[in-house]
Amino acid sequence: MNATPTLFTRLSAALLVAATLSSFPALAQLGSTASAVVTTEQVRAELMAQAPDGAGPGKTVWVGLQLTHKPEWHTYWKNSGDSGLATQLLWSLPTGVSAGAIQWPLPTKIRIGTLANYGYEGTVLLPVPLTITPDFKPPLLSDTLDIKLSAAWLVCKTECIPEEGQFTLKVPIKSSTAGNGAAFDAAWRNAPEALAGAPGNALVVEGKTIKLTVLGLPPAWQGRTLDFFPETPEVIETAADWTQGWNGATWTAQVPLSAQRSASPQMMPVVLAVNGQGRRVEMAVTGNWPPSGGAAPVSTALQVALGQGSDGGFRLGQPPAATLGFWAALLGALVGGLILNLMPCVFPILAIKVLGFARHANDRRAHRINGIAYTAGVLLSFMALGMLMLALRSAGENLGWGFQLQNPAVVATMALLFTLIGLNLAGVFEFKQIVPARLAGFQPRHPVVDAFLTGVLAVAIASPCTAPFMGASLGLAVALPASQALAVFAALGLGLALPYLAASLVPAVARALPKPGAWMDGLRKFMAFPMFATVVWLVWVLGQQSGIDGAGALLALLVAAAMLAWALTLAGRTRVVATTVSIAALMALAWGIGPYVTQAAPLARLDRDGQWQAWAPGRVEQIMATGRPVFVDFTAAWCVTCQYNKKTTLSNQSVLADLAARKVALLRADWTRRDPAITAALQQLGRNGVPVYVLYQSGRKPVVLSEILSVDEVRTALARL
Amino acid sequence: MLRRTLMTSAVSVGALAFSPWLRAAPSVGQTAPDFSLVDTAGKTVRLSDYKGKHVVLEWVNPGCPYVRKHYGSNNMQATQKDVVAGGVVWLAINSTEEASSDYQTPQQLARWMMDSKAAATHTLMDPEGTVGKAYGARTTPHMYIVDPRGALVYAGGIDSIASSRVDDIKTAVNYVRQGVRELLAGRPVSAATTRPYGCSIKYRT
Repeated sequence: MNATPTLFTRLSAALLVAATLSSFPALAQLGSTASAVVTTEQVRAELMAQAPDGAGPGKTVWVGLQLTHKPEWHTYWKNSGDSGLATQLLWSLPTGVSAGAIQWPLPTKIRIGTLANYGYEGTVLLPVPLTITPDFKPPLLSDTLDIKLSAAWLVCKTECIPEEGQFTLKVPIKSSTAGNGAAFDAAWRNAPEALAGAPGNALVVEGKTIKLTVLGLPPAWQGRTLDFFPETPEVIETAADWTQGWNGATWTAQVPLSAQRSASPQMMPVVLAVNGQGRRVEMAVTGNWPPSGGAAPVSTALQVALGQGSDGGFRLGQPPAATLGFWAALLGALVGGLILNLMPCVFPILAIKVLGFARHANDRRAHRINGIAYTAGVLLSFMALGMLMLALRSAGENLGWGFQLQNPAVVATMALLFTLIGLNLAGVFEFKQIVPARLAGFQPRHPVVDAFLTGVLAVAIASPCTAPFMGASLGLAVALPASQALAVFAALGLGLALPYLAASLVPAVARALPKPGAWMDGLRKFMAFPMFATVVWLVWVLGQQSGIDGAGALLALLVAAAMLAWALTLAGRTRVVATTVSIAALMALAWGIGPYVTQAAPLARLDRDGQWQAWAPGRVEQIMATGRPVFVDFTAAWCVTCQYNKKTTLSNQSVLADLAARKVALLRADWTRRDPAITAALQQLGRNGVPVYVLYQSGRKPVVLSEILSVDEVRTALARL
Repeated sequence: MLRRTLMTSAVSVGALAFSPWLRAAPSVGQTAPDFSLVDTAGKTVRLSDYKGKHVVLEWVNPGCPYVRKHYGSNNMQATQKDVVAGGVVWLAINSTEEASSDYQTPQQLARWMMDSKAAATHTLMDPEGTVGKAYGARTTPHMYIVDPRGALVYAGGIDSIASSRVDDIKTAVNYVRQGVRELLAGRPVSAATTRPYGCSIKYRT
């Protein structure tokens, strides 16, 4: 056990380095050729700084990219309008220094034929504030703050050219940098001022238009014609005519919506401007967005995972999910499988295994055979599940790992199975009492079959808990050719079976176990409790899927099934009577309330859960567009690791305080039931199961945190924002 | 039930909108405007010829760097091949006006599509821009899917990452593949409207 953390750390470090190198080939090649100026045929771009008081901790330092366009060429604002792309800045800064959002100067509306864009012509400076904390330590032998910028911009006339540049700049820490003061002053003057939301402000969706009412604009503006720039893209018909008017100090406007609108925001920051002066105001949206917009609500979330017909053989390739090599994936899967043994959801299986060890402690050969049978059970079921998933996916099903538990019928069956195992362990019945005599001796006489089935069971229970590495490996597996994908699944299974297999092959381990005796009966009865605890969990999961009625119906059915198991242990006429009664009860219940178990709960998915909001496609981008970072918790009720993290790290006071201090928006994507939109989002992150924790910030690559989330990790990630 | 009523009314509104004096771009769920265009081989192609099949519309302009991002990486051709192999019709439409420096004659465009090993069912010429404007097409690429009843079921981008970097293709969600896959499995398109990104279409003004 002592060696594990080091091995684990080294492996993760190696994987991380490999993944990073392969996903940033451009950064890896970044030479020392970068300077503060990049000139192309259309644009001269310069990285400049404004630090009148030097650049030490606590000082205000501004940096910015100045773009000087050749006549007729332009680049884009944060909402580029009908086409185009906003200029992107990606900063590399020393520890202790962080960059804020671009303070976008006012754009102009640029018409190209029947289309319109928001952007900049002539010269524009995009300023960004830097925060320098006391953690910042200047490099040895130099007294400068070294800034690196990787910028990408799209420059267009009627034709468009995507360009990018690498910039470096050294800002003296102790002396003043103010050579570009005029340019920064002009940019700040030209940036819109925040306008506090007034009680009369309104943005109402009405039919195919939005109606705006804005109060508190500068008195000098009254009666003048204003420019209007929505920060949220893909909402209005950018090029269409719109109307505006003044009613005393109140400005009103009516703007047509795009017929193919793809965003339906709850909050729309808009910029109003006249004569180079602007005001930015955040408008809460009221009224209902007409149906065409937003990602269509996913009504198919409840479709049973296994039942849907498909088109037969129509294959579309999966987008490759991760930049992990095949061998790295195999290794990752093996390690992931090993770690699965430690997951809370595998605990009941560990219990069964302990019993197995104790029973055969003195029989080395039986031990070895059991170990191999168990391994075979694990391997075959992992590969069978893998094959099933690959087959369903290629047939068009949008599935991810853990999909088995998205089906209420599967959850209910597992609850029944665990109830029966629990009752058996508790001594309510013995298998030989309830099965025909011919099969009675089957289980004890065929320990090999028993061990094999234990392996199958282990997989069934363990699969929803994606351990670290496993998520990435599985994400990759579905994009690999089938044979390689199956190898990944097999490696996963081998990892899970390995500890048991090793123990069964090495006599020293078996010898270390206590001698068989009366205590074994006690242990066996004790093991019934983890089984019943698992049933509690499964009923709770089903409650999330089918509601309180479904959970109640399942419990009633479990009671009836337990009664039947007990009735079968009786003898003579009592047995006949009791069995008949319990079968009748079971049938009546199954007929009467059984359907509740698989019925969809009324869609009571909460829009808000404390500070958490429900995730929806496009929501992250919308929030990021307002400059706030976003933390997304991809979770599911049946995922124990997720629930554990939710109750510990994500409820930790210091984590919550840090999140609030950095104004991080919290979104929760609940994958308890099938949801193709969430599956697609996971796929985009190169994952294929939950939990996944992601921190998004505008202009940076999303940060995916580890699956067993620690307080330190979240806080470190937040500190880097 | 309510859904069905909404659907019916949406379709009738769409039919109204198609009347010439009220030409607005269709929303998803409305009737996709029918059109008749000549392909690069001189053959007349109507959208209504393909009633009963799913049709993908792709706005293309070989002079646009975003089009080249998806053709140079073989992403567009691979998407075309997969989709067409599923029995779906793919119509590539070029709405670039003749006066634009990007304009290609039917022969040039046919040659370019052939050299790119494109698998579009037809490549159509729309130099007047009437079809592009009828659909509200703004960028190249801009993608649409029409269902067998002739209703517009997808409008938006080729994928989820608006950039010119080829490297982004592998991490982006290809909305056209995803949409077609969902449609062929008998499900609604989960992302029915998305952001199209790319160059402005060079319409005649």
